[in-house]
Parts: sequence; structure tokens; C-alpha cells
Amino acid sequence: MHNGNCENPLVPGVVKVIDIKDETSDVKSFFVKNENGVPFNVMPGQLAMVSLLPVGEGMFSVSWQEDQEYLQFAIKRVGLMTDELHRIEIGQKIGVRGPYGNGFPVDECKGKDMLFIAGGIGLAPVRSFIKYCFKHREDYGKIQILYGSRSYDDLCFKDELFDKWPKEKDAEVYVTIDNPEEGWDGNVGFVPSYLEEINPDPKGKIAITCGPPIMIKFVLKALEKMGYSDEQVITTLEMRMKCGIGKCGRCNIGSEYVCLDGPVYNLAQLKKLPPEW
Amino acid sequence: MQILDKKRLENALDKLAGTAEVFLPVKKGTAQSGFYSWKTFDKEQDTLMLDALNVLLPPKNVLFPQTEKMYSFKEEGEGIEITGTYEDSKATIIFGTRACDAAAIERFDDVFLTRGYEDTLYKSRRENTVIIANACYEPGQNCFCTSMGINPTDPAAADVIIRDTGDAYIWEALSSKGEKVTGTISGLLESREVKLPELKSFNTIVDYNGVAEKLKNMFEHPIWDRLSQTCQSCGICTYVCPSCYCFDIQVKTRGNQGYRFRCWDSCMYSEYTQMAGGHNPRGDVKERFRNRFLHKLEFFNERYGKPLCTGCGRCIAACPAGISIAEIISEIKEADTDA
Amino acid sequence: MKEIGNKIREIASRLFNDGQVDIFIAWRKGNVDYQTKPYIAKSIEDVNNIVFDEYSIHVLSNYLLKFRDGKEKIGIVVKGCDSRGIVRLLEDQQIERERLYIIGVCCPGMKDPLKAMKDHSGLTEQIETTDGLAAKCLACIEPNPVIYDEILGEPQEPNQKGERFAQVIEIENMSPDERYKFFESTLSQCIRCYACRQVCVACNCRGCIFDEMKPQWVGRETSVSDNLMYHLVKASHMAGRCIECGECERVCPVNIPLMLINQKLIKDVNEFFGPYEAGMQYIEGAIPPLSVYKEDDPDNFI
Repeated sequence: MHNGNCENPLVPGVVKVIDIKDETSDVKSFFVKNENGVPFNVMPGQLAMVSLLPVGEGMFSVSWQEDQEYLQFAIKRVGLMTDELHRIEIGQKIGVRGPYGNGFPVDECKGKDMLFIAGGIGLAPVRSFIKYCFKHREDYGKIQILYGSRSYDDLCFKDELFDKWPKEKDAEVYVTIDNPEEGWDGNVGFVPSYLEEINPDPKGKIAITCGPPIMIKFVLKALEKMGYSDEQVITTLEMRMKCGIGKCGRCNIGSEYVCLDGPVYNLAQLKKLPPEW
Repeated sequence: MQILDKKRLENALDKLAGTAEVFLPVKKGTAQSGFYSWKTFDKEQDTLMLDALNVLLPPKNVLFPQTEKMYSFKEEGEGIEITGTYEDSKATIIFGTRACDAAAIERFDDVFLTRGYEDTLYKSRRENTVIIANACYEPGQNCFCTSMGINPTDPAAADVIIRDTGDAYIWEALSSKGEKVTGTISGLLESREVKLPELKSFNTIVDYNGVAEKLKNMFEHPIWDRLSQTCQSCGICTYVCPSCYCFDIQVKTRGNQGYRFRCWDSCMYSEYTQMAGGHNPRGDVKERFRNRFLHKLEFFNERYGKPLCTGCGRCIAACPAGISIAEIISEIKEADTDA
Repeated sequence: MKEIGNKIREIASRLFNDGQVDIFIAWRKGNVDYQTKPYIAKSIEDVNNIVFDEYSIHVLSNYLLKFRDGKEKIGIVVKGCDSRGIVRLLEDQQIERERLYIIGVCCPGMKDPLKAMKDHSGLTEQIETTDGLAAKCLACIEPNPVIYDEILGEPQEPNQKGERFAQVIEIENMSPDERYKFFESTLSQCIRCYACRQVCVACNCRGCIFDEMKPQWVGRETSVSDNLMYHLVKASHMAGRCIECGECERVCPVNIPLMLINQKLIKDVNEFFGPYEAGMQYIEGAIPPLSVYKEDDPDNFI
């Protein structure tokens, strides 16, 4: 558990921002390095609470952990804290506490074919699992990645999408944007409809999806139509979070706290929860 | 039996206040009633409410203050430093709390001390708090604690139980913390036999049996439209409730220094689940209302094995729209779920 | 009162029958005789539940805000204070006049069911009896409805006698230090439950300043400074708009004398921009005095 004071789980630890990369016009990747020597071990799909101490805190999925070298967060500028965060410079110190949440079931998915479906900033959490699969390539079967965004500019992690991942062994990458654009000769259309077009075979496959709530809802419908069972479909949810440790009550869906028991759920578990996300 | 004569009560409180900060039910001036410290008791203005049924504001502010500092920080150039954490571990006694409120503290222990993480702010207060509970024999108009599984004459989570026999209290220490506190006032206790009071009957009777199970399938039930109609989402219910624990975390900065604090929050406010991106899963009063009652009666039960509502009746007395959780439980019990 | 109750049920039935209303906002009885609660009847079958008695104190015009985005036709029963609330909402353009069918009742003053509930609950020391009129009714200056489609009951005399702003003047006469001490002691009790904001008819902003985080105008700590800021900012927002219905003070769980602050502002607005009483008359297009800028506005208090 990484925090400033190992006793109090609400106090963050200090990390240094070692790099900032522009992904889109409103998404930046922040690479932070742990300064205090306490190892920070995040599994794909887990979350961390990033604090700009004088401003506020926000819960973000860890997009990737490169051993003890850095943690990467892909953060979209939407509110008070993210606005301020987008203004900081390399070398600045911020607070991070975590990891929180249950993470993706990386062990249970071993040996399966993987289908990753993401929209917009939803690629950030899913990417942690994608990279994990590529890092442990022999443990997983065929990998298919379907990603869509509003426009070309809004596509995150472009270098991996177009240069790195298509070159990986037994991997297919499908990218789509919502509306036609000059200079784009790839697919045009929403993610759920593109998914139905591609029609990936459900046999032996696990589908992981994340994106705007409306996209998730349509993707789940499409997957069901294509014959995926509830246990084959996994998603990661988002709710407003403050404490991150399942105490403040805010992020509950039914009797579950998304920060503690989630945010990763398979469709069978999701169907048991009230539809309040 | 060990007896504390009421004539010696103030003496006892003074003695206890010498070892810890004693919080007891007091009416401050003509204004509000709640749990306040004995050392701020003003004989001219305030009234001790130990003989009254209870007070409007619950004792949760002793263990879980309305506003609580968490940690302070300082910015210097590119660096930030956490300069201190606030953990309050001074000795505290909650004197004269009723079974419903003591049971609420039990539920707070479940929330803050179990499941993954221990909330150290709560823990340090709780470990140093002794609960002296006042057994209850005369239920009030809106009380229904027994329906929620609470025993009013034997409050759970109590270190000492006092029983009011009219002119004295029977004093019963139940734990080692309780014995220690008893030791402080042992000089004021006498030994004699008195008759135990009898528990009178309840005005409000609620059948909670099976309600939690039933609620599991009532999320989309039309009953919530009707029940939530007159709710103004004012939040009074959550603030007078002894077992409501939702909190907000905010920051206070001055120049390059500041501190983070937490404060009470209410699930009834419209921006409770408002996300920065604009999406609000519970933007409607009905959705928040439903979530509150499901949390009290079903979700908490599912997670911790007991209902979060302890039947104290404060929300029933304080709601401007006259919404009553006891009535809601009865309506749910009778609701037709075949529709 | 029973007669008025009967008439209201008659009118409500007629309105539902003729399709003139989709919902009807009035009162119903609780489980005990001192409990009357707000009620929204949705069909003619619900009309039987409607009552009107001496505990019908609630300002029902606040419930109109729940329907401001809809299209339902709404029947509503109002007394003096809550009819001013309707004028308030019409002036703030929160609801359209055509959607409302207003039944005005001349009000003799009401008893407070909330106080009765609290006194009978055992949670307060039962030293005050619950037989008297509610505190806010004793200060009432307009018991007769100021806007209505139908009116019931005999016109009533206002209950407010003597110097209307007596308590305000008492505090105005204190030295600044004494005044600060007074407000510090009353407002430090505030637990920031925001109930006063929720029950206030004039508080109808969709995005409330106290919920705003970018920037955060008033901190959420219950420190004296944050509490003072909350109450002063809220009262200033109410200046020229408060209809003196007294609901804020009635529902406050810690008995803060909110009407004192509101009355000071009413007195000031009357003196500087008046004579003006909020919500007394519905004139289409009328705007509260502090929502209008005039070059000759008094500014000697700045």
C-alpha cells in the first residue's frame, strides 16, 4: 500500500512527475516515479487516487506500471482538479495513494483469446490489460483490439494503436472514429456497430470493455446478441469517488463499493447490481 | 447491585471529567439538544437531558466529528510535503447514550474498522472512547428499535450500562474499559438491591422481518415514485441520523499551506454522485431517496449482516415533509411485488 | 377549517374530472392528530386523502420546483405566505402561470406539526406547549392569498402586531462587537445540513453557489468563518426575494434564528429600494429590486 503514512490510508505518498505526453487535445499521459522507496505494485485494472494537494484528489485507473520505473496515468481534462493537473510541469511533485480496487482477472483469463473493446478515454484502463497480455504473450491466445473515439484527434495512445500493437504476434487492431474526416481512411462508425460488423467469435474468448456509459450499454447488448455468455464479458465501472477505501459511501452501486469491491465486474455480477451507473 | 445515587451524579461526572472528556446529552440554552462536553456545561443556560428519552442530535459527532482535519501539507517550489496528520487519541467518555445510538456506533465500527482498510482517524478516537449506555425502559412516540433487532434494556457495544430507577442509577460494568472507569468513581457507588424498571410497550411497531430480502427485488418497483414525491432532499434526515456516515473530503488552502479535511455529507444532495464529466447516476430525487432507504434497510444488511437503521425515530420527528422510515418499512412489507 | 377541507376536496375532484389538472398539491394526514404532511394527489382516487386543518403550515409552492421542467397541469392549495411563493416563482420564471390552478385559502394562522412531532418524540424538553400558533404565524403580515383562481375562507387580519422589526432593531442597536458575538454564537451551531436552502422557495437556482467547486466560494467546514459566510451569502442572495414564509427557521434542526437575518434584509431593502415587499402581487414582467440596476441606486451602505 503506497501512501505517505502507512498507518492512515487516506494520506497520499509523494511522487515526482518525470514525463508528460499529450495524447489528444484534452488528454495527457502523466508518468510518475515513486520517490520514497516504498514499492508500488499495481495490477492491471487497479486504480490510484492522484492528488494535487492544494486542489483536490481524483481517482484514475493506472494505465500502465513499468516495474518500479514509473506509473502512467492517462487523464482527461474535465473538471476542477484535472484542469489544474494539466497545467503542471515535469519535475513537479504530486500525491498518489493506492492501489485500489480489484483489477482485471489476469490469471483467470490465461489461455483465452482476448477481445478488448474501448471508447474514448476508456482505453486507459483497458490498455493496462492489453500491455500485460503483450508482456506475457505466451499466456494468452489471439488478441483483438477494437477502439473508437469521436475524432482522429481524440484517439489516445496513437503510437501504440497504429505502430506497436498491430505488429505484435497474432494481434488485430481495429480503429474507428464517429464521423468521416479528411485524411482518415479507416473505419467510420460507432464502436458497437463496428463490433457487430467484425463479429468476433465468442468461442474461448473473453471480452473486456470500457468507455462512456452509453457505449458500454450498447456494447453489452451487441456482445449478448453475438452469443457471448455473461461470464465472458468484463467491464470496469466508474463512479464519483472520494475516499477510495470503501468508507465514505459515495461510490456505491447497490451494496458494493466500486472503489473497493470493483471497479472490474463481469456481466453476470453486473446484472445482480441495480442499474445505477 | 452497584448504585449511583442521582444526588451524586454531578460529583461522578466531575470525577470522570478528570480522566477524560465526558460527552453527555445536553440541551444548550434554548436552542439545540445534542451530546456536548461536561466541561462546557453552563448551569445557568443548559439543561441535562439524561432523564429525557434522547436528544435530537446524535452522539456520532464525538467519534466522527462534523468537520475533521486529516493532514496538512506545505508547498515549496516543486516539492510538496505532508507536514502532519491529525489523529485524536484523547480519552473520551460518551455518557448516557441510548441503545439505538450505541448500536449505531457498533455499525460505525463495522464500516470504519473492517473490510480492507482501517480508518485510522476513527480508530484512534474509538480505541480511547468508553461508552456508558443508558438503558431505555420507556419508548418514545417514534421509537422502534426492537423491530430493528436492538435491545433497549441491554445496549450492545456498551462498556458500562446504567439503569434509571427514579432516584438512582444501577451501575453495571461490562468490559475492562468499563471496569477501569468504574474504578474512578467507585467511592461514589453504594451497594444495595433495587427493583429493575420494566420495559413499557412501543407505540410504533414495525415488522422488519423479510423486508431486506424483499427489497432485493424491488429496485424498479413503482412504490419509490410515490414515497419520494414529497421529499425535498433537504438532508436533515442524514444529519440527525446516528448511523449515517457518508463524508466528503475537501481541502482548505492559504497561500502555500493547507490541510485536507473531511466533513459530513448527505446522499440526498443532488451533486452527491455528480461526476466531473457530467454524468450523474442519481440525478433525480427519487433515485437518491431509493438509494438512501435501500442502503439503510438492504445494502448494509447484505454487506454487514445488520440493518443500518437502529429505530431511533429522529428522522421521523425532524422531516419537514413528514416522511417516516417506519411507515416505509411497513409499506414495503405490504407491497405487491407481482406487478 | 373542516368546511374548507371539504371544499378543497370538491374542487380537486372537479378539476381531475374535467382534466384541468394532472396533479394536485395539498396536504394529507399522518398517523397522529398533530401530523399533517404535504401530499401530491395524482388522480381522483387520491382526493379522499386530502385534508386541510390547523397543521397545514407547509409552503407548498416549493413543490412546484419539482415540476418546473415538466408540462403537467398543477392544482395547488396555498395560504398567504405560500401564495407569495408562487408569485416569487412566476417572477423568477421558474414556472408558467397557465399551468397552475391556484386555490387560495385565507389563513387564520397554523400550528407547527414539526414542533409537535419533536415535542412528542421525547427528543426535546417538553416545556413549551404545542397549542399555540407557530412562531412564524405570529409574525405574519399577509395571511390572505395574493394570487388565486378561487378563494376560500373569510379574509383574515394579520397576526403581526406592534413593531414588525423589533428584534432586528434590538440587534442593530448593539455595538459591532456585541453583534459579532451574537452571530458567532448562533451561527457556530450550524451543522450545514442545507435544509434552509432546500425548503426555501426563493432558493431556486439549478446550480447553487454552495455546490460550485470551480471555484469553491464557501468551504464546507463547520468553522465559525465558513458558517458565517454560508449564512451571509445565502441571506444576501435572498435580499429583495425573501417572502418571509419562515420555513427555513421552522425546519432548522438546531434552531438558528434565520428569520432575524432575513428580516434585517427585508427591512433594508424596504428602506433603500422600497417600499417593497417581495411577492405581494403578480405583475407580469416585474423584477425584484436587486435584480435591476439603476444609476441612482442608493449606495451609502457600501
